[in-house]
Amino acid sequence: MNDKEIIVCRCEEVTLSELQQTADTYSCSARELKLRTRAGMGFCGGRTCSTMIEVLAHNEREKTLKFQAPIRPIHFGKLGGEIS
Amino acid sequence: MYDIIVIGAGPAGLAAASTAALEGLHVLVLDEYIKPGGRLLGQLYEEADGNWWNGIDESAKLYDQAIHAGVEILLQTAVHDMERHESSWFIYTEDVVFSSKQLLLATGAAESPLPIPGWTLPGVMSVGAAQVMTNVHRVKPGDRGIIIGVNVLSAAIAMELHLAGIDIAAMALPPLNRITTKHARPKEVVEALLHASYLAPSRLLRIGSKFMTNPFMRQLGITFYPKNGVTMWGVPIQLRKAVIEIYGTNQVEGVIVSTIDKDGNPIYGSEENIACDFVCIDGGLYPLTELAELAGCPFYYVNELGGYVPLHNEKMETPIEGLYVAGNITGIEGAKVAISQGIVAGYSMAIRSGKQGLADKLQDALNTVHDTRRQAAIQFHPKIELGRDIIQKQWEKYQSRLVQI
Amino acid sequence: MTRLENHPILGKLNRKKTINFTFDNQEISGMENEPIAAALLANGIRTLRLHEETAKPRGIYCNIGHCFECRVTVNGIQGKRACLTPIKEGMVVQSGKHLPSPVRDWRVNHV
Repeated sequence: MNDKEIIVCRCEEVTLSELQQTADTYSCSARELKLRTRAGMGFCGGRTCSTMIEVLAHNEREKTLKFQAPIRPIHFGKLGGEIS
Repeated sequence: MYDIIVIGAGPAGLAAASTAALEGLHVLVLDEYIKPGGRLLGQLYEEADGNWWNGIDESAKLYDQAIHAGVEILLQTAVHDMERHESSWFIYTEDVVFSSKQLLLATGAAESPLPIPGWTLPGVMSVGAAQVMTNVHRVKPGDRGIIIGVNVLSAAIAMELHLAGIDIAAMALPPLNRITTKHARPKEVVEALLHASYLAPSRLLRIGSKFMTNPFMRQLGITFYPKNGVTMWGVPIQLRKAVIEIYGTNQVEGVIVSTIDKDGNPIYGSEENIACDFVCIDGGLYPLTELAELAGCPFYYVNELGGYVPLHNEKMETPIEGLYVAGNITGIEGAKVAISQGIVAGYSMAIRSGKQGLADKLQDALNTVHDTRRQAAIQFHPKIELGRDIIQKQWEKYQSRLVQI
Repeated sequence: MTRLENHPILGKLNRKKTINFTFDNQEISGMENEPIAAALLANGIRTLRLHEETAKPRGIYCNIGHCFECRVTVNGIQGKRACLTPIKEGMVVQSGKHLPSPVRDWRVNHV
């Protein structure tokens, strides 16, 4: 079995070979790798694959993969809420 | 308006909440899980003195202490956003927005996976998932399992599954690829196990340390590692075999295992099938920091702490006014260290709230963190103290830069 | 037997009240306060959804709410995590389904 069939991002089904190719072509940061492939942009918000994307991106000490609110999916009707 | 909101009802969060509430503060703890305890719930191991560390009992104790101290605890309440406005924190949950003067993030750790062909099949789960299913829910993850990834955490959980009477066909390494490297090279795996050996609560690691103490012997240990592995608690531990594929039509039916050379490369023609109905993956733990990011906390990569950690000092303060961190969000360590850090955070927040005469208690709590760390039965990174020094130095550097500005 | 009735350290399983619910119209019995995923696994069910685009089967992965792989529809509300939603009497649980995805090929033009 070759790398093509190894999924890295389970939510968006982005493969290892696609991520490697993108990382090599653009020599990109983890954030750029995410934006180019959608790896880490699925339902889980990147909690499952972010460490793997960071390994594939060129070694970086600065945290480029960011989390944005909402950090848990929420129904539109529940956004806002009441102040206790 | 609460004095303090704590996010995460694990060992750090509950200990912090109790400590602050006993000093007279009004404290709310939020957690998205159905039971209090966090990752502590699943833990079960024998300590050096022969007593069992039972995560369910320990979680119940921490929970009872918090309730008796007057802490309010809301479970099944996920936080999806937070912001600071006019020196208060606003915490957004599905139904209610809570507010507090101070905020402690005790969100713990998440598991890093190892990508393996077939790992999206039902029946493949993180090693922590199998631990929770077994010890907390008392449901078998399956009849026969394979554990991929050999390290301190997976060895401890393999022992727990064995204890529960679950058949583990083997523990083996992941296939070598650009992500799995340090988990897939026998040499590096043995190195990591070796560093942990004198502290680990398992016979394998203690025995291992005796015959693999110098680099030459270590090399020998890998080269002559018995072809069929070493059997521990009835589990064959294979350091010279990798699971190269997980197969099954609608769910796991088995794995293909290949013999590997000492660098982790598969030896073609050595493939064999092992039938199983579940597979556990262990790529280690990393600090779960999303909320600290939303707060705008600076981050540093500290390998010894398990990844990116929010900047903090020994008193569990962050550079953000009114924001504290404790437990695995600050670095991967055991539950006892998390409890001791939680107590520190509790006193720090109480002092910031204007409570008097707590300097000695805070100092005692700080000393306890160090003592607990030194006595820890399980240490996830051999150089944890170095990691703690690195982040403390970053803190000092950050503070001095602020003074200059 | 998929439930761990006896454990050398944790002791005997504390039998709780039986709760009945349905999963894709199938009657399932579980134990009070246990999450949907545990009750289904105790009944031999691992597949909780199909990937929306590729229809590949999925089950629990992390089991503590981080990975969202176990999301199901509960009493008509989508996106509920089966690993941390306790079963309730009469609860209607439906697996996640394969959805049409006509714009899947966008990547061909963008990578």
